[in-house]
Amino acid sequence: MVRLYTDDLSIGYGDRLIVKELSISIPDKKITTIIGANGCGKSTLLKTMTRIISQQSGAVLLDGENIAKQNTKDLASKMAILPQTPESVSGLTVGELVSYGRFPYQKGLGRLTKEDYDVIEWALDVTGTTEFKYRSVDALSGGQRQRVWIAMALAQETEIIFLDEPTTYLDLAHQLEVLNLLQKLNEEQERTIIMVLHDLNQAARFADYIIALKDGEIVKAGNCEDVMTAEVLEKVFAIDAHIGIDPRTNKPMCVTYDLLKGAEK
Amino acid sequence: MIAPHLIRRQRLIIFILCALIIATFIIGLGMGASSVSFDRIIPTILGNGTFKEEFVLFSIRLPRILITVLAGMALALSGSILQSITRNDLADPGIIGINAGAGVGVAIFFLFFPVDVGSFIYVLPAVAFLGALLTAILIYAFSYSKKEGLQPVRLVLVGIGFSMALSGVMIVLISSAERSKVDFIAKWLAGNIWGNDWAFVWAILPWLVILIPFTLFKANKLNLLNLSEPVAIGVGVSLEKERIVLLLTAVALAASAVSVTGGIAFIGLLSPHIAKALVGPRNQLFIPVAILTGGWLLLLADTIGRNIINFSSIPAGIIVSLIGAPYFIYLLFKK
Repeated sequence: MVRLYTDDLSIGYGDRLIVKELSISIPDKKITTIIGANGCGKSTLLKTMTRIISQQSGAVLLDGENIAKQNTKDLASKMAILPQTPESVSGLTVGELVSYGRFPYQKGLGRLTKEDYDVIEWALDVTGTTEFKYRSVDALSGGQRQRVWIAMALAQETEIIFLDEPTTYLDLAHQLEVLNLLQKLNEEQERTIIMVLHDLNQAARFADYIIALKDGEIVKAGNCEDVMTAEVLEKVFAIDAHIGIDPRTNKPMCVTYDLLKGAEK
Repeated sequence: MIAPHLIRRQRLIIFILCALIIATFIIGLGMGASSVSFDRIIPTILGNGTFKEEFVLFSIRLPRILITVLAGMALALSGSILQSITRNDLADPGIIGINAGAGVGVAIFFLFFPVDVGSFIYVLPAVAFLGALLTAILIYAFSYSKKEGLQPVRLVLVGIGFSMALSGVMIVLISSAERSKVDFIAKWLAGNIWGNDWAFVWAILPWLVILIPFTLFKANKLNLLNLSEPVAIGVGVSLEKERIVLLLTAVALAASAVSVTGGIAFIGLLSPHIAKALVGPRNQLFIPVAILTGGWLLLLADTIGRNIINFSSIPAGIIVSLIGAPYFIYLLFKK
């Protein structure tokens, strides 16, 4: 029995359904990646699973309970989300931003306790952002900023962490840095991580479980060997992919690809 | 997790602002019509003044000064809240239509409901308050969408629309009214601090005594509301509920101030802005600074307005606008 799953989830804006009767289960203590073409509903799904937008029908269930019916502050101590490229307020320091992650545990005036400080220090340390503690967030580079936001999500001390395209706008080294950090958190602390990624090879390299979506429906869900196949990628992205094996990680990877014949415009 | 130097700076600034308020108070007391000379202020406060000195100090000047400072504080706090919940540095109770709502309430009441002179000045704040509240409710209703909830940007736009429409209503009302009545309304609109009696101090003080601690209590939520919607939801802020409660707080504060001072704009815009520039965007830190800045600015504007020309006084609201309008334009250009 998994902790987190969706039950016949349909999500839409106005009359247009983006996600259609989707039932997926998120394996516990694993890294799950959602892939799909632009507009396939992957970000929408992530937002609904974290109650940022509400569904039209169906439910997201955590520990057997509909998240829409749970106290939002209690829920925040169970799941954290890093939205796509969040904006910071000018002048806000890194330490302050990370301290906001302690909100679910604060009562009354919201003074930070010794425990809060310890968690914040740990989150800064593990993301390598301690040195920026008193610096303004908007003065940092893209990669540093992304690590600070991850630190804030970590300060929430949740077992489940959602990330919407955490590697966008980062260069190759910084992308890998972020993903390595997430993998470390998953391996050492058994956090369940669910993220939307654009890069297929990164998805295959880091994910234990991949969900491939097209037009709001599942094309294939399974481990990377099941999903990273020419057939699945043809359906999901309308590409003709050549799948090889990454010589370092032994994971399947998309070596090269073409547009499907007839799909060019 | 606040940088220690910011806390030290905040304390220093609070101290300076308190000193400025006291200094402005003393200078204002010694100047203009019905003044108490500087060397007599302390003896009078200690109870050694003449009857005339005591009367001027305790019955005329002190209540007015207190009302001015309190109203400035209320407007500044209201602006601070509005700027955080709308995530817009240009939000101000005047800009989102609350002043205009109170103004229309006052005008309708003054023109169409004859009340005897004795109770009039005490009913008027209540009417202004109702006008402001009603406007805020309408603005909220029009900017609320069932699908997306309350959109801060729409709130500001609808507020500006209401503000303009209500100004139009005012012109229609005034143009059909008698000259003597128009005079009072025009002064009210200009932000002439007209409540200058201890009763008005007691009318505005409870709002501040309750709502300043309440807002500071909500400071963490304001921090998150100011940040981004998904982030606020992600850490467990019940967005819609907090927004309504805080919006009502802001309206109550602005309405309680405007009802005794008349239409004063810009204090709610300037004060939080200056405070954020001084101590950063954390609500716990900048709100106390903004409150004191607002109180001092309005007191300063009133003191200048009372003394700048010999025979009459200029409403504080006009002095504030003279300072505020260029600052507002500067902010727009900076954006």
